[in-house]
Amino acid sequence: METHTETFRREPPPPLAHRTLNLPVPFETTLPNGLTLVVVEQDRLPLVNFRLALPTGDAHDPLQIPGLTDLLTHMLNEGTEEHTSRQLAEEVARLGATLTAGASSDYTTVAASALAAYGEQVLALLAEVALRPNFPENELELARQNSHQNLIAQRAQASFLATERTARVMFGEHPYHVVSPTHESIDATTRDALAAFHRARFVPRGAVLAVVGDVRREHIIARAGELFGGWEGEAPAETRFPDPPERRERVAYVVDRPGSAQSNIIIANLAVTRTHPDYFPLLVMHTILGGTASARLFMNLREEKGYTYGAYSSLDARRHAGTFRATAEVRTPVTAASLKEFFYELGRIRDEEVSEEELANAKSYLTGVFPIRLETQEGLIDQLVQMKMHGLAPDYLHRYAERVRAVTREDVRRVAREFVTPERAAVVVVGDAGAVAEQVRPFVERVEFYDGEGQPKEAPAGAPESEEAAAGADAQEEAANAE
Amino acid sequence: MSATLTLPRVGVEQFALANGLRVVLSEDRSVPVVSVAVYYDVGSRNEREGRTGFAHLFEHMMFQGSENVPKAGHFQYIFNNGGTMNGTTSTERTNYFETLPASQLPLALWLESDRMRSLKVTQENLDNQREAVKEEKRLNYDNRPYSNAFLHLNELIFRNPANAHSTIGSMEDLDAATIDDLREFFRIYYAPNNAVVTIVGDFDPREARALVEKYFSTIPAQTRPAPAEVDEPEEVAVRRETYRDPFAQLPGLMLGWKTPARRTADFYSLSLAADLLLEGDSSRLYQRLVKDEESVVGIQGGIGERRGPSSLYVFAIPKPGHTTEAIKATIDEEIRRLAAEGPAPQEMEKLRNNILNDFTRGCQSTLYRAQRLSEYALYDGDPELINSEVERYLSVTPEEIKRAAARYLMTDNYSLLEVVTAGAAEGEAPAEAAPAPSGEPEEPGSPPPQVPPPPRSDAPSTASSSLPAEPPPPASPGQPASPSEPPPEV
Repeated sequence: METHTETFRREPPPPLAHRTLNLPVPFETTLPNGLTLVVVEQDRLPLVNFRLALPTGDAHDPLQIPGLTDLLTHMLNEGTEEHTSRQLAEEVARLGATLTAGASSDYTTVAASALAAYGEQVLALLAEVALRPNFPENELELARQNSHQNLIAQRAQASFLATERTARVMFGEHPYHVVSPTHESIDATTRDALAAFHRARFVPRGAVLAVVGDVRREHIIARAGELFGGWEGEAPAETRFPDPPERRERVAYVVDRPGSAQSNIIIANLAVTRTHPDYFPLLVMHTILGGTASARLFMNLREEKGYTYGAYSSLDARRHAGTFRATAEVRTPVTAASLKEFFYELGRIRDEEVSEEELANAKSYLTGVFPIRLETQEGLIDQLVQMKMHGLAPDYLHRYAERVRAVTREDVRRVAREFVTPERAAVVVVGDAGAVAEQVRPFVERVEFYDGEGQPKEAPAGAPESEEAAAGADAQEEAANAE
Repeated sequence: MSATLTLPRVGVEQFALANGLRVVLSEDRSVPVVSVAVYYDVGSRNEREGRTGFAHLFEHMMFQGSENVPKAGHFQYIFNNGGTMNGTTSTERTNYFETLPASQLPLALWLESDRMRSLKVTQENLDNQREAVKEEKRLNYDNRPYSNAFLHLNELIFRNPANAHSTIGSMEDLDAATIDDLREFFRIYYAPNNAVVTIVGDFDPREARALVEKYFSTIPAQTRPAPAEVDEPEEVAVRRETYRDPFAQLPGLMLGWKTPARRTADFYSLSLAADLLLEGDSSRLYQRLVKDEESVVGIQGGIGERRGPSSLYVFAIPKPGHTTEAIKATIDEEIRRLAAEGPAPQEMEKLRNNILNDFTRGCQSTLYRAQRLSEYALYDGDPELINSEVERYLSVTPEEIKRAAARYLMTDNYSLLEVVTAGAAEGEAPAEAAPAPSGEPEEPGSPPPQVPPPPRSDAPSTASSSLPAEPPPPASPGQPASPSEPPPEV
């Protein structure tokens, strides 16, 4: 290989002149029935995107029917007063358009996109499936059957088992603990239940129709008035949810997946809601700790140790509660060694102030990728919907960079100490319980075991440790002794 | 009815340096970002037996430092300056790409040229990345239902080992890779005359050209590598096998056909035939099997597009009580119907609007354009094809679609892989099932999207890449498009 390259290669080149992103100022108006319209005219390409967003999500499922909202969003495209499921699919496809519906914990969206020339037609279809679904019995029966199969198949995925256990542990009785329906709730999802829920929760007040694309504002507002103006319904009362349980100790939750080639690790604690005043300091902290492939977790567990393909943190900030998580999938014998590195990094971000350079890098990352996300209509409309559904300030996009830049090293340390709490963390490990149980035990006050169906089970009989695992456990003991 | 539509036109300026590096520039000032893509003409198709997974392992090494960029410095420089990046390996090529604020174009070219000029390959980094790649293999294949079965389907479809083996390779071959192998691989395949550099976005073309010349022109050319030998024998053969999947909870049915190379006349017709059969909820097989017969929970499929012999695959999850034989018979019946009657007029309208929409929508992103331009430059020597391929697809007639279905799919030349669950008794017919997510655009040699989707979809099943997808943000099933904060796209 070359060993002596030209001198001009020694230092990274300075940037060219900064080029400013012209952020759109969305036009906003509200129809008499309470539906808010948010419109951005963008004629760069002959395309249009629509999102109808409603502040009702999986968290609002009836208590006895977890998963109802998801099944409902699936059923929106399966028949209306005017069209059958097949007619809808064919009409959307004929236009070269998309029409989909989905829900998160906090809100539901019905999304459509098309060539601008077909915008009005696809908007009419969006209005039809959102406002006038009729949940045909035969389609519902098929959806129920398929949901049962889906539920069985999901349990083959280690990532599903990890997410499920984490949600149950972190959220307790709070509805965020639900990540999938049950066989019972699928059977309980009747046509009447869907229709009643739709009537009660798909209402114009609080809902938002966002439009981004090659449209005329006056024109689209008039058309939206025709399609949505007659939509009626009272806003439901604000739902009160139980608080997530307070955690007092570090506990491991091992989900047994015999023969697993890896351990899926999630270390979680409760953090903040999306509108919490510390959201931005936490965002910067998370970026430094595990937000990217150049963050501390990745550099340690992958680039230095080679335990994993990727180690990250995540900031899950929803409307009513949120968690902070550190995650990786590691080969089974280094489960203990990986936990040791995780807890080292979680301790370090709490105990030591981050460097000026790390802080500057994280800010530069967050403010730099921001315009890249707004390159597409889909990226922009996503932001507009989130702003509305999470109740963010109207100047959120315009002030995003400023709020990131305002975060100090002291802020980062303060929020790390407050919201990264490894001493009370839930340590979820999905893997071969026989091979990981003893690796996990030294790190926690106690261990609970679960099977692949999510049910508690007995601790496995002691399994022989591999050499690599034994080395990891030794390292952990040394670390513990040194403290 | 058809839309009055002016298709976007992607600007194309191309030139070559004296060392053989091909360069494509496409200026677009609408958003202050720039994407740089570097495509090397090396993929798993170039790997010989005993060295599978080599191209992809090498891709990881490209992030391990060069003379002026430290180990992992590439990640850091890009992220710390507000960019996103990754590298991926497919059967056809290895690509590296980054999207950055427009002012950082020099940084991207400095980074890409430094590793092309002076990559540092050390034993320590090789050992480390070998472990990372093994974890990637465990995560995306060994620990996941259906993924290894899908790789095996390719081994049934193709006879030539260059086509049949996976991009991720085998653990044994990964272990066998030596420093000397890697250095030789770099010399041969990572030469400027074996690469294309494409820049799309907000830049001054004169300035960009000067930067490219500065950073790349002194990298020496090498003797061109021998072309990959990807020919497949003419044959008529039905291959059927059973695959016992240790993690699948439900059985699966996989079908594969060998199909013509990309950009051949029949390729276009067959692609559109595949769309009519498999693309979306309005497709013939979805409507027939999922909705009418209710015999499968989900079905998906598509074309794995290559420069040489390619493939068409179908993946379905049967419902309890429905046999592979019966489902295969229905699929055959739908193929025969398309081959006999051809597409309906409204299906031709659907194809047309989808072709127009997909292209226009893709053009929103500078990275999408950079990737397409790079492919046309590397594979076809003609990046201008980005502007004419849409017309080529639109020119396909119903008669051609009909003939392609008859010629390539209505045949005794296919592979069938029956995936049985670990618990299934020997010789037991598959009995149960699950749904398929709508297909991601497929990279050649990629595993099928997972069935069923996890709570939030995991790493997209494109070709193997240097960085995993951001972990699925903890949320409920069916979360709308994006989590609340920027997932690093890697």
